[in-house]
Order: sequence, then structure tokens, then C-alpha cells
Amino acid sequence: MTMASTSEDTRILILATLSGGYAGANAVGQMHASYAPNTYILPVMSPAMFSEDFYLRAFERGIDAILVMYSGTDSPYKGDAEHTAQMINRVYPLMTERGINTRRLRLVAICTVCTAAFQKEIRQMNDTLAEIGPVRAELAAPHEQSA
Amino acid sequence: MSEKDIRIGAYVCYCGGNISDVVDCEQVAETLRGLPNVVVVRTDLSMCSDAGQSLIEEDIKEKGVNRVVVGACAPSLHEVTFRKAVARAGLNPYLYHHVCLREQDSWVHQSNPDEATAKAGRLMLAGIAKARMLEQLDTIRLEAEQHALVIGGGIAGLRTAWDAAQRGIRVTLIEKSPFLGGHMAQLETIFPTGENARQALHELIEKVVSHFLVTVYTNAELTSARGYMGDFRVTITAQPRGVAEDFAHFDEAAAACPVEVPDDFNYGLTTRKAIYLRYPDAIPNTPAIDWKACTRCGECKKVNGTGIDLDGKPQTIDLTVGAVVVATGFQPYQPREGEFGYGQFPEVVTLPQMIRLMTMQEGNGKLTWNGHPVNNIALIHCVGSREIPGVHEPQEDGRVNDYCSRICCTATLQMTNELHERFPYINLFDLHEDIRTYSRGHEDIYTEASKNGVRFLRFHGDERPEVTAAPPDDTSPLLVRVKDYLTWGKELEVPADLVVLATGMMPNPVSDIVKLLKITEGNDRFLLEVHPKLQPVETAVPGVILAGTAQGPMNIQETCSAASAAAAKVGVLLGQGQVSLEPFVARVNHDLCDGSGQCVAVCAYEDAIALEPVLVDGKTVQKAVVSPANCVGCGVCVSVCPNHAIDVQGWTLEQYEAMVDAITADLPKLEVVE
Repeated sequence: MTMASTSEDTRILILATLSGGYAGANAVGQMHASYAPNTYILPVMSPAMFSEDFYLRAFERGIDAILVMYSGTDSPYKGDAEHTAQMINRVYPLMTERGINTRRLRLVAICTVCTAAFQKEIRQMNDTLAEIGPVRAELAAPHEQSA
Repeated sequence: MSEKDIRIGAYVCYCGGNISDVVDCEQVAETLRGLPNVVVVRTDLSMCSDAGQSLIEEDIKEKGVNRVVVGACAPSLHEVTFRKAVARAGLNPYLYHHVCLREQDSWVHQSNPDEATAKAGRLMLAGIAKARMLEQLDTIRLEAEQHALVIGGGIAGLRTAWDAAQRGIRVTLIEKSPFLGGHMAQLETIFPTGENARQALHELIEKVVSHFLVTVYTNAELTSARGYMGDFRVTITAQPRGVAEDFAHFDEAAAACPVEVPDDFNYGLTTRKAIYLRYPDAIPNTPAIDWKACTRCGECKKVNGTGIDLDGKPQTIDLTVGAVVVATGFQPYQPREGEFGYGQFPEVVTLPQMIRLMTMQEGNGKLTWNGHPVNNIALIHCVGSREIPGVHEPQEDGRVNDYCSRICCTATLQMTNELHERFPYINLFDLHEDIRTYSRGHEDIYTEASKNGVRFLRFHGDERPEVTAAPPDDTSPLLVRVKDYLTWGKELEVPADLVVLATGMMPNPVSDIVKLLKITEGNDRFLLEVHPKLQPVETAVPGVILAGTAQGPMNIQETCSAASAAAAKVGVLLGQGQVSLEPFVARVNHDLCDGSGQCVAVCAYEDAIALEPVLVDGKTVQKAVVSPANCVGCGVCVSVCPNHAIDVQGWTLEQYEAMVDAITADLPKLEVVE
């Protein structure tokens, strides 16, 4: 049997909290619902651990979009939701500086039973990617450095 | 260990067809063979079976595998299973990584087996990339004081205390008010069984207070807390009761007391004095002084010179406990002035008030209110529940109660049945958005209400009923206007001698406890568990456990189940005299740490990370030091370290970067073979 090529496809990295999005992803699976296979879900205790560098590096390595599925106000950790939002907000101008479309990064609150929202986010991000194309094109194109 | 010594075993599970019906597991395995450090690759029909686990154990023992990656179902199901298998073979259990190929691949990409297979391959590659960087970790073992503090003397706290004590755990129970029993003491019957609520409560209280392992403090609050699971240092401050246990002149003292305040036991329907018993057979059965109301005029002391002390000082009690159970309970929603006419018309009462009113109403003849006969009662559901942001007026904190309080539908219908039984002539109108009689036996109460002739009217959440004064010549003082969707949106007017508001539940305000214990409140203000299904009574702070309605609306039956679960958790944590914590906590590389202290500044957990003097090359310098017992592993500190000197053990940034690299790598074996 041959394997389908994924090398030219876009890839969406999903950072999903164990107490929220990761369990939500499993709930989608338990429903035998469907979403695009270009999605790679990594469990995280909290995305608050990732600094700006992590996101920029992931884009530079060829991740076309990142969905940060955090637990929002339902997070069991004190202050991590606010901190995560702050970190993500710091990433956007750095993406712009590097010519990376900021629509490639989204922070969304997903709970353990947010199955419809989980699928919607993936669908919307794939729609965005269909519109803006893979990240490689942006990284290869010359862009103006912001002041 | 050098890189060449890393020997990875990779296992792809068919999951009895759940994975292999979609994912070509053999092809995935073929992709992994020959990868650097991968010395064993296997597929199996069911890796979680005894035979499957034995494969791993044998490969560790016979083939020198020292890192294990299994692609199977969700880690929540079998990660622990495989960690144990790894440990049985003598390997550190944290040298294991679990990849989800079922819930996040085969079950969601059934129509696209080729893509699902390719994805499985990449997920396994990412797992292997992480496995190369896994380190031996040890669970954090702490001595545990076999003693639990239970905060709250309502049904949840009492049940937790009893169950924990039965498991051999010493319990200190503290109750903020002078009497035990909480809201259950204000009820007469328990639905759906119809038992006597007070009797059931008193039986439990008697058992708890007489248990040799339980100490109870009333009028007591938690005022400080430090430490970690197994070793919390807490201080309890107990206000004096003001009345001696053997004081025998309560009636005279109460009569002499000039202070009269609304009696919260009857939700303000009656008044009481500043020296009071909550109800005649309240436990403890010693009266208490309401210090907020008492003016210390001394009139009560004049009745009998001894037995009353108005100058007592608070007592502080320092304890070391292994776990803390928060069972701080709920308060009924208090409608705003004018909300459905509450506070505006005396004929509008809440359901808790109505329950007390029924108790105080003697006989089964005629129901009266304010001296007037009651012939028509309208009961309105969802008051202070299921509110819609932007539609309903927010509370002082800007929030609306958008959750369902769950118990009020059945409680309201139970009230209609009691009213019908005692006062069958009364016309009952039930105005609801939905009827949610969800629990066993509750639907029978609904059926009975229907048979009793209760008129049901259904409104929409954004078109709630309006309570107005009736014209002077009407027989009833109030009119309730409602657009009834059971009659296709007809505007109806219901005459009412009494309007009962089925008020929802709100958590008791416990911001002090939240702050002291570093636990989290949800957006609805109820206390948050780690996971509603998988860790339903645990908070993110190890050793701090939730019980009952502090966590969300529950009926008594559910509260007791939750309390028993909390007690079971306490038993598991403390029963062995030592506790084990997962090692996923922050770790500082002192070679990289420059002591900037940014990690300390952002950490929300007291004593989890601190700058401490460390000897480096003969010089004392400040470095960040983690207290593993206090760290929850959220990683906030990791992201702010300018030198990348901090990581969360088992979830390091390097491991994540390696996984990202594996996901994005163009690997020849995953390309199309035309």
C-alpha cells in the first residue's frame, strides 16, 4: 500500500491543554466526528510555558498555523490563562516583522466537551490557509522589517 | 546517557480494529523501522492486553529497550497501564511516551485512510523524537500527615468528615457559623424519597461529632495556610461562642436581649435575638451570641450572672494537615429589588422562604400570607439561573448566572405537590423555561404535579414573566404576565396571591479561602476542579479537594456522592502516610540561571519558586530554586526566563521543539510511492 503525500500539505499544530482542548479532541474522536487530517495535536499542561520564540520557530520550521486551545477561565492553574494571552499578543507583532500572516496563530478556549467549537476552529483555520497559502511562501518572500 | 545508548521500542496498536481498520499499522511500523535509536518496532492486536504488555516487558529485558513509545488509544485510558508495564520490567516509568492514534486519528479520519496513515506515522515520529529526550524522573514522595481539614459543616463537610474518619484519617472540621448542618437543616423533607431532612441530618451530625477521630470547631475559619500536600500548616481562628455549654436560662436571656435582627434561618421571614439558637434542636445545642448584632449591652447577663461571656477572645489553633477539603457550600440567589416584584410586593417570596413558610404554617386548613388567604400561587422558575448576557441585568460584579442550578425545577415541583397535599383548593401555576427533572425519581414528582392539576406555562428565556400589581378590584393582589409558548405565544395574565421565585444556587463567597489555598474559581464563581470527569474533586493544588456545592449546583444526593468521593481521595492520598506527586514540575538549570527573578515575579503559587543563595565557585549568588511540592507545573515561569534556564520536567521546550521538527520534516518514507 502506498501512503498519501503530506509533504506539500499545510500542517496545523494544535497545542491543547490536558484539562481542556486535549480532552475536547478526544471527545470529538469518541463521537467519530470528522475533521481535516493535517492537524497535529500536542498535549500541554498549559501553553503558558511557551515564549514567543517557540511559535516563531515552529512557523520557520514549516508549521502553517498554530491553534492554541487553552482552558481560558476554566484553567485549573492560577493566572496562566492571562499569561498565555499576553504571550500570544507578544507573538503577533513579531510575526508581522517576519512577514508571517498573523491569522496563522489563534488562541481559543476549548473545554472538554467543546466538540463543535473544536471542529469549527480547524475548519476555519483550513479556510484561512486555503486563502493565504503555506507559510513557506511568506518566509521565502522578501518583506519589510518594521521599525 | 549518550545518544547512541538510547534504544527505543515503538509499538503500534491495532486496538482490535479500532485503529487498524483505518490506519495501515503495518505501513506505519515499516516507516519507523531503521530510524536512529529505534531498535524494536512491533504491531499488536491489543497492546493493552496482558500479552501486549508482556511484549514491552520482554523487549526491555531481552533487547535492552530503554525508551518506549506506544501508539494506541487516548493517554487518559492506558498511559498509566503502559507506565506500569515499563516499571515492571525495571525501567523508569517516565521513560515512556504515549501517542494517541485512535481518538485523534483513526476515529476522526475514517473517510481518509491514506491521510490517517500518514498522520499516524508523523505522530509516532514525533513521539519517538520526544522519547529520545526523555529522562528518568522520580515521583515526588512526601511524608503525609494523616489528618484532613474539612472546611464547612454542611452536609458535604459532614459526609466527607464521616467517610474520611471511617477510613482511619483524623479529621478537623471547621464551620464558620455557630451551628452545624448548613442549608439542609432548613429543609423538611428530602426529595425524591420524602425522608425527614432534619432527622437524617441529625443522625449524621451525631455520628460525626462522636467519632473519636473527628474534632469539630464551630464559629471557626481558616485564617492562614502554607505548605503542600501531606504537610499543610494551617491556622484556624475560632470566635468565642459567648455562652457556656451548661447555660440553662436561654429563654430568659433571649427575652431580655433588646436586639432584634432578621432570622437568616427563616430567610428573614421572622426575627431573632442577638443571643440565639438556630432552631430548637440545633447542634451544638448551646445558644450562641451573634457578634455582628450584639451591642454588648449586658442585658442577657442580668438574667443569670454566669454562663454568658461577652468579652471572650478568639482562639487560634495551629494544625498540620495532609489534605484540605473545601466544602463551603452555596447560598440561594438573592433577587434584586424589583426583580419579578421581589422586595416591591410583599406577596413575592423566594422558594427557600416558601419552604420555611410551609413549616411555620400550622395545620392543613387554609394557607394565609400577611393575614390574607392564599388561593392562587404562581411559581416562576430560573430566577438567578440561565440568565442571558446582554439580556438580563448583570450583578454587581458584572456577571450573570448563565448556568442551570439543576435542583430548582424538582424543588419547585415538590413544593407544588406539598401545597396540593396540604391546601388542595389552591390554584397552582408553574411558569418555566424548561422542566429539568433529570435525576432518578424526579420525573415522578413532575408527573404527580401534572396529575395534581398544576397549570404549566412556558416562557422563553429572553421574555421572562412580569409581576405587577393587580387592579384594585381584583381578588388577588398581583398579576403575572407571561407569553406562554405552550399555547403558541398567547399573552396570559395569571392572578396571584403569592408569587414564589425558584431561585438558583450561587457559591458562598470564599475569596479568602481561594486566596489562601491558591485554588481557582470558574467564570460562574464556583470552585474549579482539574477535570470535570477524570479528576472531578481535585483542584490544581495537590492535596486540596472539593466537596459539594462549592463546586457547582448539586442536590443532597449528589452532594453526598461528591463528599464521599472527596473522602475517598483523602483516603488514597493520606492512607499510606506518604504521598506521591507526579514529577511534572519546574526545574532550574543553575548553570543558566542569572537570578533575574522574573520567574518568581510571575509565579502565582506561594513558595513554589524563590530566589535563594547558592554557592557557585566559592561565591554566594542568588538563583531560582523550585519547591517541587508547591509547584503545579503550569510553566508560566518557563516562558519568562530570559536564559531558558527553566523547564517543566517531562514536558520540556526541547521536547516540544523536537516534536514540531518531526511533524514538519519531509521524510522519504512518508512520500507517495506511485
